[in-house]
Amino acid sequence: MPSELRTFSIALKIARRDLLDLWRAKMLLFSFLLMPLLLMAMFGYMFPTTPKANLAVGNMPTAYPNIPVALVQMDRGSLANAVANQFVDIAQAQQLFRVSEVTSYQTARDSIIWGTISGIVVIPDGFTAAISAGMQATVQVTVDETNPQIAAVVESEIATVFGVISSSISTTTMTNMMGNSINPSFLLEPVSITQVPLISGPSTTFQFLAPGFMALTVVFGALSGVGFAISREREQGTMDGLLVSPITRRAVIFGKVLSQTVRGLIQAFLILGLSMLIFGVRIYGSPFLMVLTMLLGVASFVGVGIILTAFAPEQETAQMIVILLQFPMMFLSGIIFPVTSLPGWMQWIGKAMPLYYAADALRKIVILNAGLNVIGMDLMILIAYALITLTAAVPVFEKAMTR
Amino acid sequence: MVMRRTETHGVPLTTETMFPESSDALDRVSDYAIETHRLTKRFSSFTAVDHIDLSVRKGEIYGFLGPNGAGKTTAIRMFCTLLTPSSGSAKVAGYDIAHEADEVRKRIGLVSEKLIMYPRLTAFENLMFFGSLYEIDQNSLRKRTHELLDMVQLTPFKDRVVGGYSSGMRQRLNVIRALLHDPEIIFLDEPTTALDPQSTRFVRDLVKELKEMGHTIVLTTHIMEEADELSDRISIIDHGKIIATERPQELKNKYKSDNLLEVFLTLTGRELRDSASDRIPMRRVMGRM
Repeated sequence: MPSELRTFSIALKIARRDLLDLWRAKMLLFSFLLMPLLLMAMFGYMFPTTPKANLAVGNMPTAYPNIPVALVQMDRGSLANAVANQFVDIAQAQQLFRVSEVTSYQTARDSIIWGTISGIVVIPDGFTAAISAGMQATVQVTVDETNPQIAAVVESEIATVFGVISSSISTTTMTNMMGNSINPSFLLEPVSITQVPLISGPSTTFQFLAPGFMALTVVFGALSGVGFAISREREQGTMDGLLVSPITRRAVIFGKVLSQTVRGLIQAFLILGLSMLIFGVRIYGSPFLMVLTMLLGVASFVGVGIILTAFAPEQETAQMIVILLQFPMMFLSGIIFPVTSLPGWMQWIGKAMPLYYAADALRKIVILNAGLNVIGMDLMILIAYALITLTAAVPVFEKAMTR
Repeated sequence: MVMRRTETHGVPLTTETMFPESSDALDRVSDYAIETHRLTKRFSSFTAVDHIDLSVRKGEIYGFLGPNGAGKTTAIRMFCTLLTPSSGSAKVAGYDIAHEADEVRKRIGLVSEKLIMYPRLTAFENLMFFGSLYEIDQNSLRKRTHELLDMVQLTPFKDRVVGGYSSGMRQRLNVIRALLHDPEIIFLDEPTTALDPQSTRFVRDLVKELKEMGHTIVLTTHIMEEADELSDRISIIDHGKIIATERPQELKNKYKSDNLLEVFLTLTGRELRDSASDRIPMRRVMGRM
């Protein structure tokens, strides 16, 4: 048998054995399948679907419905009553807040400390008097700052509701003053914006995150899987059985890479399938390009995984080394958080990692139906990474195994 | 072409039919299965194997003895091409371990102290997998696997995962894994450590049988009685150097003892290795609580 064909045939046997091993380890298989589901569910709900608000038709969708807030009405005047009622009505109709009326600010503040509410709206004394006198009235807002994410949501939603209430007060006042001679919305907001979505149909935040997570899963699998597999086999002694036989070292590496690629693709398609089923993610681009990008993502990383872990004396060290690389990669590659807020040197680290390009290409394929002309550069960078790291990995592996 | 036909419990085999030798085969004819020349292995500043010259004759059982850390396993790993020598050279089965590693690998079998088996695979799957790494056709391999399993009386358990095997069963399996491709030279690194007396007897008888069939065997063991019973010649290595090479009886005659353990202790010293210099008597430690 020609040597290249034999290398490939041995690699297939090694990959088949690795996958059989995974199939036999039922608990491992269970966690292996559960991991992408958990990851997807967690992030899917953490970054939920929030269509844009349309205040003109009174539509204020929220990702965090019925947040408990307290309303402290200190002014009992007619206008204060009207505003309080309007606030409660809008909050309930749009399912923004569950409003409970509380007699004093101090009681409401204690409730925040006890964790039973997330915000307080106070309509202070003098509210009715101020508006009646044609002056600006103030509503005081306190939010639970120990939970910054919810605090921001409460603050912005209260502002939106009072924006609607203010507009209606202004519209009524102006109509009373000027009749129908001028459109009150022109005076209130002469220029308004309307958004035209990048992709047609209903879009979700997760639509943009899912491709990144797919890239992340495949690449992490490749990075850690091959390294762990090699260090585990060294530790249990079976690597000796492989290395003492007349097979090339390339066959061992290629076999491990093949099995990890299959594992990575299974996880990635689990993520994609469930994202489509549960979170309504849609694929606009070519499935072939998706698989190609993921395969290149794997190829660009296995070499790094092998080089990093080949010299690790045991599996635990190999794991630590891989985690050390995974964390910055996860946060600096722009998959979960945008990298633009980071200092320049950190952005460069993110852009030096092949995951950045794999995620970028995958996102463009899935969401924007991008073709090779658009993602070509991303793919070229991944190919360059793969060539360089895999070329270096074979001699490094050989050296590490026989040093 | 040098033909060597063996029959392992009814399994006819020729190394040459599996690995046709090249035309320079005759040049490689030698009385020695292993020859080393100033073979050395250093790990940073530590010299594990220090300029050793040894020769293992074809068809003999060569006992390779030494205290822990003496360099036995390092030397064997170099012979098996699992470690690269720092300097010096060695030929195994007529091939240079550094430059003709693949040819060496075709002709050797390793039974290491660690079990070379995947615990989640059955015995049959393990043997078929490791056998498939050698250029043996599937049918011959399947036939040979069945026959070897029969030979070590594991056929009824062949479809059980190896993780559930007893240590005796595992070691019998470990031995036949190294025989799948009918190697000329078999390295046995402490093959009976932690085995019960029955399994120990079984493995020792197997080693004798392999020798009778013409295989060369390099045996490392800490059980002196085993080395005495099985070895044709014994080399003792200490601090990376060979300090004696004789037939077991000659060693005993030379050091005027009928016990190989005493000879070994005379040659390598009685102090514990890698420990403090002063020994505290047990009386001083025990019985004080």
